[in-house]
Amino acid sequence: MYGRKAFQLVKELASGEKGQLTPYNSDLFDQVTAECSQHHLELQSLIRKIQEEGLDVQTTRNSEHYGSLIHHLSLVRNKRCLMAYVYNRAEIIRSLIWKVGPVLPQEIQERLSHTEEEYFKRHSAALQSYMSRLDLDLTVDMVPPKDPYIQVRVLDDIGVVLSDDKTTNFARHSMHFLKRTDAEQFISRGLMEELTD
Amino acid sequence: MAGQSDPHQSLFSAEEVEFIAEDETVEIIPNLRMDALNFICGDFGPFFPQIATQVPLWLAVALKKRGKCTIRPPQWMSVEKLTQVLEAERDSQRMFEQLPFHYVEISRLLFDHARDDIPDVYMARSLIEDIRDVRFHKVETNLETLTERAFALKINNLSAMEVNIVRPFVGRALQAFYKHDSLELIPDQERVSDRRPQVANNATRRHLRR
Amino acid sequence: MTSESASTPGIDGDYEALISTTDVELLKRAWRNEKAAPEILHFESALIQRIRGQIQLMEETVEEFSGSGIDPLSVSLYQMDLDRTQYLLRSYLRIRLQKIEKYTFHISNNSEVQSRLSGQEKGFARRCNEDLERHLEESVLSKLPDNYRDILKQSLISEENDMVPEPHLDTFVVCKSRRFLGPFQLDGSDELLEMKPDDLCIIHYKSIRERVQEGEIDLV
Repeated sequence: MYGRKAFQLVKELASGEKGQLTPYNSDLFDQVTAECSQHHLELQSLIRKIQEEGLDVQTTRNSEHYGSLIHHLSLVRNKRCLMAYVYNRAEIIRSLIWKVGPVLPQEIQERLSHTEEEYFKRHSAALQSYMSRLDLDLTVDMVPPKDPYIQVRVLDDIGVVLSDDKTTNFARHSMHFLKRTDAEQFISRGLMEELTD
Repeated sequence: MAGQSDPHQSLFSAEEVEFIAEDETVEIIPNLRMDALNFICGDFGPFFPQIATQVPLWLAVALKKRGKCTIRPPQWMSVEKLTQVLEAERDSQRMFEQLPFHYVEISRLLFDHARDDIPDVYMARSLIEDIRDVRFHKVETNLETLTERAFALKINNLSAMEVNIVRPFVGRALQAFYKHDSLELIPDQERVSDRRPQVANNATRRHLRR
Repeated sequence: MTSESASTPGIDGDYEALISTTDVELLKRAWRNEKAAPEILHFESALIQRIRGQIQLMEETVEEFSGSGIDPLSVSLYQMDLDRTQYLLRSYLRIRLQKIEKYTFHISNNSEVQSRLSGQEKGFARRCNEDLERHLEESVLSKLPDNYRDILKQSLISEENDMVPEPHLDTFVVCKSRRFLGPFQLDGSDELLEMKPDDLCIIHYKSIRERVQEGEIDLV
């Protein structure tokens, strides 16, 4: 049936998890473009037929006309599906720049077509150049800020630590108010715990 | 990326609604002496021990966390006032009692960070939860009466959180009424968000129109 | 589904001038409007310039404080104020970028929309357009029969651009009036709507888009 393959292509896109890329289906994609060429051949031969009969292509409403109309509409529909497939994938590809940065991990890269990889690179570059002309990095501060300081309790004797040109004695069970970024190294080693009130 | 405008998602995330609410003003009683703070968002202080002053909620919470102040809960958070509000909400089918636009977020921040400054904190908390429930039930009931095309719907006294919850549904419902009522076929505009081929879309729509 | 609040009608724009509004407040308003509006709004160029100046000044101040033994408590509070403003600024610019990416063909074919962008945004929009166009040419259009290779039209017989994704102006938004608005007509209907200050409303975006731009109505 006309348009079935293009429909499958779009369905693949729609059934994928939101924001996730499915592997680029070049097989199916090429089948649809082949179908488009076929429609075009049939369309041309029908129009030739009308012309050969000496009829006006613009006004004739015979079976050849309606046949060619069906091929035209099927072709347009296929085009829309192909465009929707690439266009919506491009949207996800752009969002990856924000989520994973300018270098794609192998497992994601494998799902892109060659031109999609090129598009990703070029769009990252466009974004970079915008940000450098703006003189502002927009890839940070993605969520509303929280208090940069947290309250921690020392779980094990750490001793005297020098940070921001002052020394603090992190004795066991003592409580401190630290920059989240400074405390994280101790928390991850199990030497401190964050106190939530 | 931030600001994703997906119709199935809330426009503002919970963190963003909280961020907005953190700019609401509260009264604190400092226990230290500190010079005025000349912030980008405004000037606050100077601060003197035992002298009440007004600051944004985020600043109040930061000072409280550092043990530098007590927070005076707003008047509407008293058990007496909350009880009145709850009764009024229960008594009336349609009216929403006036609470601050951000009452949910403000009270949560205070319950989380200034528990010891709130009299009858457990009672106050459970009253707020009850009020939320009653109000939400009313919102739902009122939505059921929404059956026809409207270009505008006044929703005065709905709080920020309630707006955020009803927005996707009501917005889409009104949009649907609007489309099915309009005389022209709606042009292909949904392609971007719907990820469905337009042809199928238009066909269904044609059926639904009168 | 509402009760009539007791706010007083008749207080007009003057009220606005009486209460001083900080730039952060204005930025927050612009941020919320941009987030809630389906289309890209006018770039708040003067405001953004002022805000960036204030951020830079504050960065210098915090730096100075940290080095000069001013109490760490104040420094940490100044830092928080700075973080909040920077978040608003970046988020505002990001939302706009996303709209430019999403409606790139619509923007490049519409000079009125282009006039809403900053100079740098215009440059970015141009590149977005080139990159996406090239990508679609290579991936799809070059593989189609000649008469079907246009990027904006379905085929050569389309009279107008029928393949350009546009913002949905028919969408419904939640808004709050900032002043008393006498009865005004709603787009596409005979209905009239009157709004008092702080009235909260779910409304057809098209009917209020000019009022949002003029600052009479805020999206929330």
